[in-house]
Amino acid sequence: MMANLINGRKPRVLVAMSGGVDSSVAAGLLVRQGYEVIGATMQVWDYSSCEIDEGNGTCCSSLDVDDARSVADRLGISFYVLNCEAKFKAAVIDPFLKAYLEGQTPLPCVNCNTYLKFDHLIRKMKELECDYLATGHYAQIIEDENGKPRIFTSEDDWKDQTYFLFTIEPEVVKHLLFPIGHLKKPQVREMAVEMNLANAQKKDSQGICFVGNQGYGKFIESQVDHKILASKAGWLRRFPSGEKMAQHSGIHLFTYGQSKGLGMDHHEKLFVLKIETDTNTVWVGDEQYLYRNDVEVIDPHLIDEVKDGEILDVKIRYSHKGSAAQIFKTENGFRLKFLEPQRAVTPGQAAVMYRNKQLLGGGWISL
Amino acid sequence: MKLEKKSPIYLDFNATSPIASEIAENIGPVLAAWGNPSSIHWAGQQTKKIIREARLSLAKALNISPLEIVFTSGGSEANNTVLLSVFEKNQGSNRNQFITSAIEHPSVLKTLEKLEGKGAIVHRIEINSAGELNWTHFKKVLGPQTALVSMMLANNETGLILPIEEITRLSHAAGAQVHTDAVQALGKIPVDLEQLKVDYASFSAHKFYALKGCGFLFSRKGNDLQALILGGGQERHRRSGTENTVGIWAMGKVAERALEIPLQAERLQVLRDQMEKKIKIEITSVQVNHQKNNRLPNTSSLVIAGVDGETLLMSLDVKGFAVSTGAACSSGNPEPNPVLLSLGLSREEAQASLRVSFGWTTTADQVQDFVEALKSVVIRLRELQDLNISEAQA
Repeated sequence: MMANLINGRKPRVLVAMSGGVDSSVAAGLLVRQGYEVIGATMQVWDYSSCEIDEGNGTCCSSLDVDDARSVADRLGISFYVLNCEAKFKAAVIDPFLKAYLEGQTPLPCVNCNTYLKFDHLIRKMKELECDYLATGHYAQIIEDENGKPRIFTSEDDWKDQTYFLFTIEPEVVKHLLFPIGHLKKPQVREMAVEMNLANAQKKDSQGICFVGNQGYGKFIESQVDHKILASKAGWLRRFPSGEKMAQHSGIHLFTYGQSKGLGMDHHEKLFVLKIETDTNTVWVGDEQYLYRNDVEVIDPHLIDEVKDGEILDVKIRYSHKGSAAQIFKTENGFRLKFLEPQRAVTPGQAAVMYRNKQLLGGGWISL
Repeated sequence: MKLEKKSPIYLDFNATSPIASEIAENIGPVLAAWGNPSSIHWAGQQTKKIIREARLSLAKALNISPLEIVFTSGGSEANNTVLLSVFEKNQGSNRNQFITSAIEHPSVLKTLEKLEGKGAIVHRIEINSAGELNWTHFKKVLGPQTALVSMMLANNETGLILPIEEITRLSHAAGAQVHTDAVQALGKIPVDLEQLKVDYASFSAHKFYALKGCGFLFSRKGNDLQALILGGGQERHRRSGTENTVGIWAMGKVAERALEIPLQAERLQVLRDQMEKKIKIEITSVQVNHQKNNRLPNTSSLVIAGVDGETLLMSLDVKGFAVSTGAACSSGNPEPNPVLLSLGLSREEAQASLRVSFGWTTTADQVQDFVEALKSVVIRLRELQDLNISEAQA
């Protein structure tokens, strides 16, 4: 598939390069397809405190940025590092911390997409006179019968990342390219080898980029004042009896459906059912109480039309396979009525809607 | 293959300069002379001769004696050497204070910070928004306690030239020594160390059309310079380590062209002034930093309202124009050049400012192309900016 010329010239594309295999192959494919390609890495976190083997000992460079740069060199494209630290902190890190302190389980990748990739980079795309913005997301852009581009899930069900893309503005879709969305991960790796990219064997990134291996609890403790964390301590109580089971040292250490590391010596397997922020109470109980059919969703964002009462496929977390739910519009968003009860519906996560694999939009679960 | 860079134009000579053509043309025989200059045999004699000739050439260009030159790895090492040497020699004496300016290169400021941690007293003299040294402060702290005054000859960012002759006259009258970081000056304006009368001066090869990783320190005869690097005793025990023969030769080679410097300075000043005039006419809300001051003839520092420096730089680069902004590092929250802050610019304005610096190979056509490109980029970025603002308001 070759790029279509625009007014007789090659289309120009800005490609977001993280230094990982997916965005590197995306950039390589665009070069092959005849685009004029400009690579950019968003520097989103302060690497200055990194160990030498983690960062790489220079003032402006992490290993990931170096990887992206070496791929850009190999492909012979221009490459820039964009300083996005302040924006990333305000739009991603701060809300992430706030959510945990409010008993929610946040989804920082969506904020990063909303405020950095598909806002800041869209702006850079325009400023650099590019026609398109490309990313290495596992998602597809497919035109409908009227030639209108729409977002669909990836060919690789396992890697599909459309769940994180529901806040994309509809008018932006025509500027987007997802060059690897029609491929499966093993094919992407093969292509990386074939393109002789230095990072072809690099491990997939796991979890949240800024948290790393330390776990989110340690990350929160490193970022939030200890007095504030101490004020989040409270009781683990049994549902429905109300029995006080044990004290805990902060609601930020719990997530809905969690059963390990509750800090209780108890013979039964119990699960976190609800986190009450006004009393710092973490309710625990039997697994049966984790299931529910009705879910309240706020701050909705739609990329395409959704009919009231329509039954759609809805995902309530990234790893969720999707389940049929009837959609009812409400004042603040919509209410979902799942046909099958859903386990551990978690506030702070997103409910994302699909019609025949087309991403329609979503909103934030508030219960 | 880079985008649109059919004929890239380099206007960032204050960052580094291209290598003079006579270096590429004549380097063959120099590479063939690979002996260790410390060796007594024929192989060593070849390289020793190369170094001796380069030293003579540089000394002649700067109006000093050959043995007053100490070859180093560059400007940073030269700066470090002087400051640490003076500190070491004056430890325990009453003459142990340093005076510097607030706009020095990090290799001076960071070294002095470190010496403060070891007990040195350091006075930093501000430059006011008119680009003048705070003489009152300077004269107040200058005295029998002052060991060294270290001030740059010319600033890398705006090209501001400090009155080193006057600083030296006052300092010497107080019995203090003077060091000047002349890295940005050599190749751009005539530098006569006999006339400046400073005691030390630092130079970097890659700023004047020679090779990277090489430079030298002028240390006036009679200075008891303490070596930073100890070892085999090269450079008369002032800087050990086997000499960078090729780098030293290249500096000497370029120094042969010292007589061209005033002619180039005159030519580039005309080009620079015309460019600034044209930019001010064609692009609204542009400020030229230190325009009315004595400054390097090749340097233009611009603040262009309403345009993000990072984007401006990238947009120009995509069109093939290499320039730079007021912050050296493309990530983190780099410290803006202090000279821009001295002008009363905010941190953001300082980081967004654009530095254009010309060199011996810059032509009038290149400058004209650059002004056209800058104009179109700025207009487009400002339109997008207005669009974003109106969107945000809606």
